[in-house]
Amino acid sequence: MKTLTLGAFLAVAVTVSAQAPAPLAAPTGNAQRGKVVFETQLRCFACHGYDGQTGSPRLVPMARAEDVFLAYVRKPATQGMPSFAAISEQQLRDVYAYIRSIPQAAPSPESVPLIKGILDRRSKAN
Amino acid sequence: MADSIDRRDFFKGAALGAAGLVVTTEKTADAAAVPASPPPVTLPTNAHAHDLAYAQAQQSAVAAPVRATVTSQGRPASDFMVDVLKKIGFEYAAINPGSTFQGLHESLINYGKNTAPELLTCLHEEAAVAMAHGYAKAAGKPMLVAVHGTVGLLHSSMALFQAWADRVPVVLIVGHHRNPSGVINRPHSAQDMGLLVRSFVKFDDEATTLERFAEATMRAYKIAMTPPMGPVVLTVAAELQESIVTNEPRIPELVVPAPPQGEAAAVREAARLLVNAESPLIQIAKLGRTPKAWDLLIELADLLQAPVDTMGYSSWQKFPSWHPLYGTGGRGYTPDVTLGLEVTDMSAQARAARANNRKTISISAEHLFQGSNIHDYGRYADVDLAIAADAEATLPSLIEEIRRQMTPARKSVVQARGQRVAAAHKEGQLDGIREARHGWDASPVSVPRLIAELGSQITNDDWAIVSGHQFTGDWQRRLLNHDKPYRYNGDCGGFGIGYDTPASVGGALAHKKSGRLSVAIVGDGDLNFSPGVLWTAAHHKIPLLFIVHNNRAYHAEVMIIQRMCGVRGRGNENAHIGNVIADPDPNYAALAKAYGMYSEGPIEHPKDLQGAYQRALAKVRAGEPALIDVVSQPR
Repeated sequence: MKTLTLGAFLAVAVTVSAQAPAPLAAPTGNAQRGKVVFETQLRCFACHGYDGQTGSPRLVPMARAEDVFLAYVRKPATQGMPSFAAISEQQLRDVYAYIRSIPQAAPSPESVPLIKGILDRRSKAN
Repeated sequence: MADSIDRRDFFKGAALGAAGLVVTTEKTADAAAVPASPPPVTLPTNAHAHDLAYAQAQQSAVAAPVRATVTSQGRPASDFMVDVLKKIGFEYAAINPGSTFQGLHESLINYGKNTAPELLTCLHEEAAVAMAHGYAKAAGKPMLVAVHGTVGLLHSSMALFQAWADRVPVVLIVGHHRNPSGVINRPHSAQDMGLLVRSFVKFDDEATTLERFAEATMRAYKIAMTPPMGPVVLTVAAELQESIVTNEPRIPELVVPAPPQGEAAAVREAARLLVNAESPLIQIAKLGRTPKAWDLLIELADLLQAPVDTMGYSSWQKFPSWHPLYGTGGRGYTPDVTLGLEVTDMSAQARAARANNRKTISISAEHLFQGSNIHDYGRYADVDLAIAADAEATLPSLIEEIRRQMTPARKSVVQARGQRVAAAHKEGQLDGIREARHGWDASPVSVPRLIAELGSQITNDDWAIVSGHQFTGDWQRRLLNHDKPYRYNGDCGGFGIGYDTPASVGGALAHKKSGRLSVAIVGDGDLNFSPGVLWTAAHHKIPLLFIVHNNRAYHAEVMIIQRMCGVRGRGNENAHIGNVIADPDPNYAALAKAYGMYSEGPIEHPKDLQGAYQRALAKVRAGEPALIDVVSQPR
């Protein structure tokens, strides 16, 4: 019985994990205003890059839902991330909208000749 | 003995001379001084009040006769000093001039004919020592540095600290006056000159006679070169330099001691632990005094099929970056035996190993270390086996012992491990390279794009990165195949800014003879500490491509202050204050041009990089330095 129960549980778990993540709801904020806050007020670019793609961690593509993002920014889980407890909710929603507005697609490595060349050389190195 | 005119005020002195102030000279340094009456001070009609104050002070300084010597009266002692320096074999002497070593300076350029050592004119003493730091790591031997009493030594102190923390040899001569007179010479003299920097030099001494100069210089060089290596300082009074040789001493032979090797029984035990380990890890830091260490480490890693962790910014990183064993073994690899080779601080690894019934071995000359005011020696390393020896010198016997103890059964275990590690490393490194695509076309330019574009153009060159990589992350080692020991010259050692730019010039100078193509990727913050070294590179025709990673800020500090603002809940609006280098935005290409160097920039779009690199590299290949200012993403 216990075995059957565990097996049934695992089957459900595998089914759930195999599903694609639910699409995020559309942002409610204003992306243009959010860009200004991102660059001049919160200065998020300092760690995440001007377009959210070159720093660490990358913000694009954004994986968090809007309210989850707001909660995280107000109370981050890591020491390296500043806590933005004082900023208004609307401003954070605007920042979220800006991040979501940044084109997501980085080129595939194989489509960039320089990167492909490095990958080929590294592969041949050993 | 009387005093001389000070160097930093030479031009003022010259102007005064033209206005009627006459410097009295003596025929010999040791002749009884006959003070001349000070002439009245007269100044040009357009002179300022501070010129008069200076002139009066200067008059006081020259009231007694100047020690200028007439060469026909005998052999200047500083000529003998040059013979000592030539016997040691210094190729270069980086200097910023000062009257406390004017005797030696004159001997180097005239008696010594400005060869071996050849003077390198530096515009700041910190740059002079940092150049020597970079040169020593690339050339494997020290550069001589000469600086002015007190003021020059204090200017050089930061770079001496970095060399100390990086365990790199530098030989520095500082002048002073034993019996200073005059308001200018007194501050350039000290009861104990070495005290000013004793916290971070390995040895200092004052030569009071020529015989002692010869011995102290040989001793200083030997100490600098004996592991753990470090900077040394020798104080030489102007009076001694400018005296006449009366009884020339013999110059002793220079014999640098063979570095200590690990004790045989301890090496056997280290080999036993490593051969029987299931998942050994090799960690390296200040390993690689000579290129031999590179080959020996590859041999050791291959023999054990053990991953090699190059330990980040405090390491010289003398292991090929695309080697199958480069890394920490991949996800889930938990070392049961960790071998540290010249790792300054193994305390964290040792604590973790103790807690988990694993073993740590440390082979390092650091165990011979006698103490320091600087905390870079870290916490007590609670290792299982400590071998007080130079790791490079010990590697041959360790390798031999491992071969002797390796059984066929262990060999098959080792080979299987190596295949697993290599596969994990390769996949991890390929993923790391693929990360470069993010922000590939971003403006400002991403750091991986900046490096990848460079890499594509130096593939057929014998290149060397002569700057550190503290501020470009690990992108250099991801994107460029560091397959030779000279591909990378290490970081600053003491985690202080201002090293990269001048040290790169020293590294490039060391590579000049071999025709290697030297490249430095330096931050804008770093460049601003010693921009004058651009002139030194241009003046001495040192081929080197500077790429300015210009994120217009002390960016690590931007992030730190932002975090602090966040911790205190005060918002980030002011976090840029005191951290950014913008408004106005410095134009580093214009700066380089002003120093006589080919330059381009600021470049903000990645599409403009290729052409700029091509044009600048053409200059460097032709034997000139060049600079490209790239406005870059913060990280």
